[in-house]
Amino acid sequence: MKTIFFLVFVFFIASMADAQTQLRFVTWKSENDAVWAQIIADFEAVHPGVKVVREVGPHSSTEFHDLVTQKLRNRDPEMDVFFMDVIWPGEFAAAGWASPLDEFFSAAQQKKFLSAPIEANRYRGRIYGVPLFVDAGMLYFRKDLLAKYHVAPPRTWPELVDQAKLILAQERDPYLTGYSAQFKQYEGLICNMMEFIMSNGASLWDEQNLKSTLDGGQAKRAVRFVRDQIVRTISHRGVLAYQEPESLALFTQGKAVFHRNWPYAWEVANDPQRSKIAGHVGMMPLPSFPGHKSVATLGGWQLGISRFSRNPRLAWQFVEYMTTREAQKQIALATGRGPARTALYRDVEILTKHPHFSARYDTFTLAAPRPRTPVYLSLSNIMQRYFSSAIAIPDSKIDQLAALASRDMDRVLDLLRGRGAP
Amino acid sequence: MKAFHEPNLRFLLPSVVFVVVFSLYPIIESFRLSFYRLILTLPWLGQKFIGWDNYYDLATDPVAHQSLLTSMTFVAVTTPVEVLLGLGMALVLNESFRGRGWLRAVVLVPWAIPTVVSSQMWRFLFNDRYGLFNFVLFGDATDRYWAPLAEPGLALMSIMVADIWKTSSFAALIILAGLQVIPRELYEAASIDGASPWQKFRHITLPLVKPALLLALLFRTIDALKVFDLVFVMTQGGPADTTNVLQFYGYKKSFAEGMIGYGSTIAVAVFLVSLLMSIVYIRLLGTRLLGKEEGA
Repeated sequence: MKTIFFLVFVFFIASMADAQTQLRFVTWKSENDAVWAQIIADFEAVHPGVKVVREVGPHSSTEFHDLVTQKLRNRDPEMDVFFMDVIWPGEFAAAGWASPLDEFFSAAQQKKFLSAPIEANRYRGRIYGVPLFVDAGMLYFRKDLLAKYHVAPPRTWPELVDQAKLILAQERDPYLTGYSAQFKQYEGLICNMMEFIMSNGASLWDEQNLKSTLDGGQAKRAVRFVRDQIVRTISHRGVLAYQEPESLALFTQGKAVFHRNWPYAWEVANDPQRSKIAGHVGMMPLPSFPGHKSVATLGGWQLGISRFSRNPRLAWQFVEYMTTREAQKQIALATGRGPARTALYRDVEILTKHPHFSARYDTFTLAAPRPRTPVYLSLSNIMQRYFSSAIAIPDSKIDQLAALASRDMDRVLDLLRGRGAP
Repeated sequence: MKAFHEPNLRFLLPSVVFVVVFSLYPIIESFRLSFYRLILTLPWLGQKFIGWDNYYDLATDPVAHQSLLTSMTFVAVTTPVEVLLGLGMALVLNESFRGRGWLRAVVLVPWAIPTVVSSQMWRFLFNDRYGLFNFVLFGDATDRYWAPLAEPGLALMSIMVADIWKTSSFAALIILAGLQVIPRELYEAASIDGASPWQKFRHITLPLVKPALLLALLFRTIDALKVFDLVFVMTQGGPADTTNVLQFYGYKKSFAEGMIGYGSTIAVAVFLVSLLMSIVYIRLLGTRLLGKEEGA
C-alpha cells in the first residue's frame, strides 16, 4: 500500500512539472550557439511556465527540409516553430503546413524588414514567415594578390577571368585556383548559376507565363561561359564537388584568388584562428556580364509556425521575440549574419563591429529571390541536373540539354495553370 | 497430430502480424499510391486515380532510364567483386592460426560502422585537395591530383569502391558460415588420396560452399540495387547526374518534391526488379537455398 501511495505521489509531482507549457523549436545548430541559448533563456524568463525545447536538425538545407516536412506531413502537433529556408514558404503555404501569420504580423511591422525576404515569405497575398537573417551571394578576393599585380577588383566576369589567368600564370603555384565556388549538384548550384544567368540579363523561368527561359540565348551563353571560362580555365575540377565549406576552406587556406560565398564567410576568412589570409580579404558585389547588372541570389532563413501547433499564439510570441530589434542585433553582433530588419544597417554598435554592413545593405536590398512556387524543389532538381551536366562535361551539348531541361520544367509548371499568379 | 500442431500456429502469430504491418502493408500501399497523382505541395489537385499513367511516365522518363542503368552498373560491378573478396577473406579466416578470433572481429569492422559515417569518411578520402587517396597516388605532385567525386566518369566508381570496402566482409561472414559446415573428414580423405590443395579447393570446398556463395550473391544483389546512403552522403546524385541511382531518384521524387504517386511508382519498380532478380537466383539455386539436400 505504501508503495502505491508513493507512486501516486511521484505521478502527481511529475504531472506538476508537466503543467509547464512546452514549445518545440526545430532548428539547426548555429556557428555561435551561445547567443541563441541566451535569447531563448531570456524569452523563458519573460514567459514563466514556458519551456522552449530546441530540436537540432542537420545544417544542410536539403536534409533539414526532409526533417521538417516529415513532421509536417505527419501533422506532428509537437513541433511549434521551425526554421524555413527562403525557398520554402511557397511550398509550405500551398501544402497547408505553415500558418498564415497576417493576424499577428501587421503590414506596418512587415515594413520594418528588408522587402526582398518579406516578399519571399508571401504566398497568394498572405505572409507565412518572419525573416530571421538574410544572405546574398558576394565576391571575396585576395586584396594582397590583386595589389601585387596592380589590378582593380573585377566588375565583369570576363575581367575576373583575365585577372585570374594573369595571377595564376605569374604565381606558378599548382595549388592555387582562380575561382572557388559551389558547383556540386545540389541547391547551391542553382544559387551560383542563377547569378551568372541573371547577370547576363536572362532568368530561370517566366513567373507570369509559367515557362522556362533557360533555353534562351543569353541564359545559354552564361552557362557556356561557366563551363569554358570558369570551370575549364581558371578553376580546378574539384569545384564540381564543392559545397560552401570546401570552397571556403580553399580560400581561407590562401589557395584561391576569387571566392563566391554568403556573408558569413567574411567572419571566417578574417579570423586569424581559422584563416591564413585574415586581413587580406576584400569583399564586393559579384561581377556581371558587360552591359548588365550584378545579381546576388537571396538566401537566408525564416521562422515559421506549424499549422498543427497546439499553441499558435504562444508560438507567435516566441517568433516575435526572436525577431525583435534587440534579438536580431545580438545575433548579428555574434554571428555576422545579415539582420533582416532595415534599421540595424544604421545601428552604430553593429557598424562599429562590422563596418562592411553598410556596404552590404545594397546587396541585400537588391538581392534576387529564387522564383516563388510550391513546385520549387521539382524545378530545382531539373535545373541541378541540367547545370551539372552542362558544366561538368567539357564538351556538353548545352543547346540540347537546355531544351530538354526547359521541356521538363514546362511540364512541372503546367501543374500550376489555372491558379493565377503566385 | 492436430492437437500437436495447433498451438504452433498460434506461436507464429506475432511474426505474421509483424510482417503484415511492417512489410506487406507498406508494399500494398505503395502499389496503390502508384496509380494516383498525389503531389503534397499542390493539395488542390487532390488524390486523383490516373490508372497506368505513372507507369507510362516512368517508361518514357529518360532520367529514370539513366537511373536504372546506373543502378544496374552498380550491381553488376560491386556484387561479384564483393563475393570474390568475401570468399578470399572467408578462406583465410577459416584456417586456424594465432589471432584468428581477433582477425575475424577486425574484418567485420567496416560492416559494423554505420554507412553514413563511412560514407563521410570516404568523401574526405576522395577530396581533391587534402584527401588521402591523392596523397597515396601522387604524393607531392599536386598538379596531378584528381577529384574523383567531381568527375562524371569517376564518381560512380568511387562510390563502388566505398561499397566494396564496406560490404565485402558481410559476404565473408556468410561464406565463412558455409565453410564451417564442410566436414573435415572430406579433406583428410582427399589428403590420403594425394589431392593437391587446388584439387581440394576445386572439388570439395567450391561445390560445398556454393549455396553460401549464392546466398551471399543474392543478399548483396538486392542490397546493391537499393543503395542509397552512400549516394546521399557522397554525391547527392551528381556530378552530371552520373550517380543518381534509382533508389535515390525515387527518394528525391517522394521526399524532396512531394510527388508521392510518381515516387511510389519508382519504389514499385525497384521492388519488382529485385523480386525478379531474387526469383532468377532462387531458380538457379534450385532447392539448395532452401536447405534441402541436392537430389533429395
